[in-house]
Amino acid sequence: MKSTRTGWGLLAPTLIILAFVGVLPFLYVFYIGFFDWTMFAAKTGLVFAGVNNYRRLVFDNDFLAALARTVQFAAWAVVSELILGFLLAQLLLRNFRGRSIFRTIHALPLVVAPIAVGATWRLFTIPGFGPLPYYLDKWFGFDYNISRYPSHAFATILLMDIWHWTPFVTLTLLAGLTALPREPFEQALVDGANRLQVFRYLTLPMIQPILLTTVFIRIMDALRIVDEVWMLTGGGPGTSNRYVGLHIWLIVFPKTDYGYGAAMSLLTLYFTIVLSWLLFIAIAQAGRQTTA
Amino acid sequence: MKTALWKTFALLAVVSMLGALCVVPAAAQEPGKVDEAWYAKAAEPYKGVTITGVSESTPPSKYAAEVLAPAFEKMTGIKVKFEVTSWDQMYDKEMKDMEAGTGLYDFVYLEQDIVYAYMARNFLVDLDQMMKDKPELVRPGFNWDDFVAFANYFKDPKTGHMMGMPMESFLKTVVYRTDLFGDPKIKEAFKAKYGYELAPATTFQQYRDIAEFFTQWGKDNNMELWGTVVQAHTGHVASWYEQVESILPAFGVYNWGINKDNWKACVANGGQMNSDRAKEALTWWLGNLKYAPPEATSSTWDEIAASFAAGRAAMGWEYCENLGWIGRDETKSKVIGKFAVALPPLYKGVLEDAKAGKGYIGYYDGGAYAIPVGSKNKEAAFLWLMYIGDPGIQAGWAIAGTRITMKATLDDPAVKEMDKQLGGYFTFYKEYSSLFAGAPPFPFHASVREVVAPFFFRAITGELTPSDALDQACAAAEEELVREGYGK
Repeated sequence: MKSTRTGWGLLAPTLIILAFVGVLPFLYVFYIGFFDWTMFAAKTGLVFAGVNNYRRLVFDNDFLAALARTVQFAAWAVVSELILGFLLAQLLLRNFRGRSIFRTIHALPLVVAPIAVGATWRLFTIPGFGPLPYYLDKWFGFDYNISRYPSHAFATILLMDIWHWTPFVTLTLLAGLTALPREPFEQALVDGANRLQVFRYLTLPMIQPILLTTVFIRIMDALRIVDEVWMLTGGGPGTSNRYVGLHIWLIVFPKTDYGYGAAMSLLTLYFTIVLSWLLFIAIAQAGRQTTA
Repeated sequence: MKTALWKTFALLAVVSMLGALCVVPAAAQEPGKVDEAWYAKAAEPYKGVTITGVSESTPPSKYAAEVLAPAFEKMTGIKVKFEVTSWDQMYDKEMKDMEAGTGLYDFVYLEQDIVYAYMARNFLVDLDQMMKDKPELVRPGFNWDDFVAFANYFKDPKTGHMMGMPMESFLKTVVYRTDLFGDPKIKEAFKAKYGYELAPATTFQQYRDIAEFFTQWGKDNNMELWGTVVQAHTGHVASWYEQVESILPAFGVYNWGINKDNWKACVANGGQMNSDRAKEALTWWLGNLKYAPPEATSSTWDEIAASFAAGRAAMGWEYCENLGWIGRDETKSKVIGKFAVALPPLYKGVLEDAKAGKGYIGYYDGGAYAIPVGSKNKEAAFLWLMYIGDPGIQAGWAIAGTRITMKATLDDPAVKEMDKQLGGYFTFYKEYSSLFAGAPPFPFHASVREVVAPFFFRAITGELTPSDALDQACAAAEEELVREGYGK
């Protein structure tokens, strides 16, 4: 009984802070989602709208398009980072000259703020001034222009995200791989298992918990990408790279449509939870089939 | 040996640091003489108070933060905490503060285009009322009539009272390279090709010819030179601003094409946003991209100034607050002493409209500092505003920030001298500023902008034709206006 009370006592400060910075704002957003509230409308203040904001969302092509392209971006980014991160983690398991230096340099992007990442990549890729378009044109005659071609912008945003976040995947998987016991692998080799079989029947099932955690963290991050894209292209060219986080930011802040923005935020949160849950079930099922 | 090496490094580090301290920032113009005794006396009750403000990171604001704020602080004992940040961040911060009434800011930057929205929400302190209530804070000799006409934009249309202290005003007009336009070889080649003399364009066809000519000239002579800068960012509202502020008025389409009587934008409902003239204007402007440097589609107001300063374009519409550094800062500009300002090309009848007060030929930009009603230090902030509007500091500020707020500044000898470095901009301002206009008085400025701008982005990328873009933009604008309660 005493230990339960001590436990709650120790948790209390965290729970209080969470209530203020997490639960209360969430309830507030939930509340204003039922109102029309645009700072510069003729009718000022909160005007009760019922579920109208949610009804609008279902028919809002801009929002739905932003959501769809966010899922597309997240899929590309997370899968690429996972494959690359796993390969790099495997590489870092081996002993080679310069391993420590490589590991340090490789982890550096993680400490850079997203807004700075966007600014740096903008300087690197801006047409007319940036070295990348200059050399692509000079060496290959390739007209690379992120402000004109949506596909160039998408590829650049994807590359930027991979550069920024692959080290995170590498480090978490490296931690998981390093912690695996050696005996099952040695036994498998003695039994004549090849590398692919070792990977499929041993490595993958054994690192599944850490893999799942990494995938979820990266998916949630990728679904709410804003800063880097805003700095790099502003969501352009056109609206081709306006992802849902950026779309919500533009609705809530520059446009000051608070009620509608709140409804969008909640629907996106709901969508993220459902997506993560479905993914969890799918990965867990795949894991069970592999071990069976 | 190792110790000697370390000593050398240490010495170099100290010398570098001292060197850095000795570098005088570009904005370090003397603030000018004011009645210090009066300010010191008026500020006595507020000594030790800290006032906090936010402003956009522009040359005039940086001067206010780096030169004027310390001078004011030294004179009055009122500390001025000044946040100078990006345009987006500034609005984000000040709007949130005023909407929530937190009183975080004691003064905010009030750009002319947002003033009507802030007034509609009663966000701002009425300065005229404050002058009545606190006459001891009004500088002797202070008179609103000393300010240029731009100051009228900060008047509340209902009461005629001033809601902000003007801190800058400038024009957006055509700037061109005098070294290129005056080169006999170039002039001859141009006349041979187009059959008329090379001079700043007065028609849109001439502008196109000149842009085409210099782009070709750059190619033929292996130069990084294009015909014109274009503020055509494909994901930032700056491109939409260039359309509605500069291009549409030059074509004779005013107030974004929105009918102020019924808040409608489409031609079918009495608006002009998708009129034939507006479509012609957008088509012409998009056509200029062929003669613009590759960075045009990534350019906001900052990048068009940087492109012109780097000598990459022969001409273009520029926000003239940048002419100060383009004309004087050798570390950033390659066109010092090589440019002048001119009237933009105009559709037939637009100049006459402007002279008669029925229209305007381009954008008259500027801002003021205002006091949010939530401020907890209104009196101290008001004194700071008095200082901002003091004639004593105006010439130094005009030289550092290429901005004008008071009529007398234009006749100051130092300003007249600087006019030569700015390609005659101050003279141009004096003569033609009455033909330019600020943003229309729309309280819904920001919200309609966000709805309409994406159609322009998509027109720039070629995803939409100019005609489709404007048809869709006007429909979206009308839908948003109705939703916000403007019209039916």
